[in-house]
Amino acid sequence: MNTRIAVRALAGIAVVIGTVAAASCTPPKPQRGADLGASQSIKELMQKRSLTEADVQAALETYVPGGKHDEYMIFASGGQSGQVLAIGVPSMRLLKVIGVFTPEPWQGYGYGGEGDKVLEGATQSGHKLTWADVHHPALSEMAGDYDGKYLFVNDKANARVAVIDLADFVTKQIVANPLIAADHGATFVTPNTDYVIETSQYPAPLGRDYAPIEQYKEKYRGLVTFWRFDRALGRIDPSKSWAIELPPYTQDLADAGKLDSDGFAFINSFNTEMATGGDLEGKPPIESGASQNDMDYLHVINWKLAEQLVAQGKTTTIKGMRVLPLQTAAESGVIQLIGEPKSPHGCDVTPDGKEIIVGGKLDTHDTVYNFAKIKGLIDAKRYDGKDAYGIPILAFKDSIRGQIEVGLGPLHSVFDDKGNVYTSIFLDSAVTKWSLKDLKVLDKIPVHYNIGHILAAEGDTVSPDGKYVVAMDKMSIDRFASVGPLYPQNFQLLDVSGDKMRMIFDAPIGIGEPHYAQMIKMDKLHPIKVYPPGTNPYLGKQDPNAVQSGKERIERHGDVVDVYMTAIRSHFTPDRIEVEEGDTVNLHITSLEQAEDQTHGFTVDMYNVNLSLEPGKHENVSFKADVAGVFPFYCTEFCSALHLEMTGYMLVRPKGTPAPSASALASAAPSASAQKK
Amino acid sequence: MSQTSEVHAGDEGPGARRRLAVVQPAPGGRRLVQRWGIVGATIGALGAFTYSLLLPWWHFWLFAPQYPKGLELVVSLTGVRGDVAEVNELNHYIGMKHLDQAAIFERHIAFWAVAVLGAEVLVLMLSQGRRLYALSATLAATFPIGFVADSWYWLYRFGHELDPHAAVHIKAFTPQLFGTGKIGQFETFASPELGFLLAAAGVVIIAVASLLRARVCRSCARAGRCGAVCPSLLVGPGAGRDEAGKAA
Repeated sequence: MNTRIAVRALAGIAVVIGTVAAASCTPPKPQRGADLGASQSIKELMQKRSLTEADVQAALETYVPGGKHDEYMIFASGGQSGQVLAIGVPSMRLLKVIGVFTPEPWQGYGYGGEGDKVLEGATQSGHKLTWADVHHPALSEMAGDYDGKYLFVNDKANARVAVIDLADFVTKQIVANPLIAADHGATFVTPNTDYVIETSQYPAPLGRDYAPIEQYKEKYRGLVTFWRFDRALGRIDPSKSWAIELPPYTQDLADAGKLDSDGFAFINSFNTEMATGGDLEGKPPIESGASQNDMDYLHVINWKLAEQLVAQGKTTTIKGMRVLPLQTAAESGVIQLIGEPKSPHGCDVTPDGKEIIVGGKLDTHDTVYNFAKIKGLIDAKRYDGKDAYGIPILAFKDSIRGQIEVGLGPLHSVFDDKGNVYTSIFLDSAVTKWSLKDLKVLDKIPVHYNIGHILAAEGDTVSPDGKYVVAMDKMSIDRFASVGPLYPQNFQLLDVSGDKMRMIFDAPIGIGEPHYAQMIKMDKLHPIKVYPPGTNPYLGKQDPNAVQSGKERIERHGDVVDVYMTAIRSHFTPDRIEVEEGDTVNLHITSLEQAEDQTHGFTVDMYNVNLSLEPGKHENVSFKADVAGVFPFYCTEFCSALHLEMTGYMLVRPKGTPAPSASALASAAPSASAQKK
Repeated sequence: MSQTSEVHAGDEGPGARRRLAVVQPAPGGRRLVQRWGIVGATIGALGAFTYSLLLPWWHFWLFAPQYPKGLELVVSLTGVRGDVAEVNELNHYIGMKHLDQAAIFERHIAFWAVAVLGAEVLVLMLSQGRRLYALSATLAATFPIGFVADSWYWLYRFGHELDPHAAVHIKAFTPQLFGTGKIGQFETFASPELGFLLAAAGVVIIAVASLLRARVCRSCARAGRCGAVCPSLLVGPGAGRDEAGKAA
């Protein structure tokens, strides 16, 4: 044997291995789809579709190809739908309808699962509510800037506030205000989200009690509630929350001070006339009775001072909530009033916190209140009198920097990064851009139609982005194809990066009448993609009944049957559940999936149950199997090629029927021995 | 380099003369450097083997339309990482076993196998005598080659031992071990990773060291009469001194 040859051969093999190995490279990503050749010139397309150059420019500015993401996200009130809408900007595409106050079956919210507990917590005086008049979303803030962690939103109709966790876009809590009947100046957060502010709208006896309307001035009250937000828990803590009693003016919008004005809140009002209607009895209706005065009152609230007084126990407790009485608030300097023209709307603090802008609504002006002036008057106790409730009034002319005529029916104002204000002008159906520095109108653009709120990219933070403004129009009239007499609302996207505003998109909103919305830079949002295994999203941790693979089981405790079930492509384990009529069935279902977007659903015939089982999620559902029969259950989210096979049976034996034994089951089946015969 | 004219006592016969023709008259010091170099290279290569235990050896990618980022499996000597749960989930449709049932024994003994193999290679490199030069390189080469063979074996078994009761029946197959393949809607790609490359490099180093070893032995004073075991254990007492002494 020739050793040298052997050695060289071996070395050769080693080198070959090495070479083969070294030749390895990163894998080629499979190419899908090739660029289509420009089959038609742009000009031909424009002609064919009757598009102007401005149209094409707008299209190019708003088109976001599939696979690319929007730059901003809007969280919009879903109005009467009771939900919140997540919309991408600039594409204006609807990304999600978040179930908030109204059951949402796709998300399994309010259809038997854990989300029911959130909705059940939202009763008002024991009455179950399944809708809301969603008004004003507020993103959580740190140092006056959006942090992308939470979203709060109010239900005007029933005076409730919801907390949505932006880690999973799920509503985690609804608190019902035990003291008031309707809110409007909500939700607004203090600069570090210590408090979520909720102000009543229609005065009523506090604690939802009865008092004759003739005692309106004596017994009816407004209220501003400071809901304490526990950031660590991600929940409002009602036990640490408190409120300030307000006079029975109809408080309207509100905003929290920031930077210079941190520690203060500003709430405007109408109906300082305290009209109570009675049109059937020949008295003026509220609409005119409430519009007699040329001036109403801006409420200036020193909430940090109020917080101290609350801590000192200068409160009375109504329905479990600590309330700082109106007289205490008035005498201690917690609350001051300033005149504001006339039946105003919109109360927006400028990004630097130095000024407050109030839209005239029935007056053609925006009024710019100067916080330094207000603070000076308060500190010097220079009052221009007191109202009927003993609240000090500050002189209007000494509190403002000026007024600017912006159009008919000015409502809300938002801000850009260049010191400009954008005010929605309802009656003119327009947006007016004006300079905050010298109070000069710079531009005005028509919108379609009847704009209510307006929003800008991070437009109510300490550092607005500019670039985009959205006009939230109440009417769309001729802007979209007809869908019957109930018309969609219209969100119109404005490009505000140049000197002149440009309209670049109309987005129909066909689910409700949104009021306010906020727009956050997409990179501030970091939602999770899947839940850690066994997570109960409403607990924010693993559910005590979470089921692991291989630990599926059915336990009977008397007439209660606990089913510990798992779901994974494409089967439920167990896929057969047998109970007796009258049993209580507790299903504990964990999705074992961990792959992105691999969601299952669960429904069982007749029980009005639908669960959404996102990867890793755990759900508990309980019902009484009160009808004997055979009830198929199945996966309701098309999960896989064998989705239709992802099914099983719940068999409910008539009461008193013995459970079939294993041998009975075996003999019932067509047996092999029978076939042999 | 000039040929030597040295004639060693006892180096008679035609075989010895033929060998004489290639013996170099290197001084003893240089021979010792060569010998220590062989030992150093061997230890270095064994170090590479050991380090490769911590590294991925093989990489599988799976691409399908609904997995735009693809799925990955990263195989090391002790296990598989990456999208294991998802691949298992997909495999269950065709009745393929769970990945954790592959090469259980091999994964368990991986550490000790490397330790024993390394020790053997080192001992052989030091102690082998006549005609066993190549043995250490052969042994070392079994390491990466064995891995590839074993991987193929498990891929074959997984692709052929499909559960007949699975929802989707497919023809038995062997998943691609190297390069591109296709299973259902998946395009697959497999290639060696750094651990394997390091081990392969270790084999090359040991092979080169073995060649060098053969050269050193040929010039050794005891060449041809050393027997199966090197009396001086390559770098032990007396190593390289004989020829150096004679040369002086």
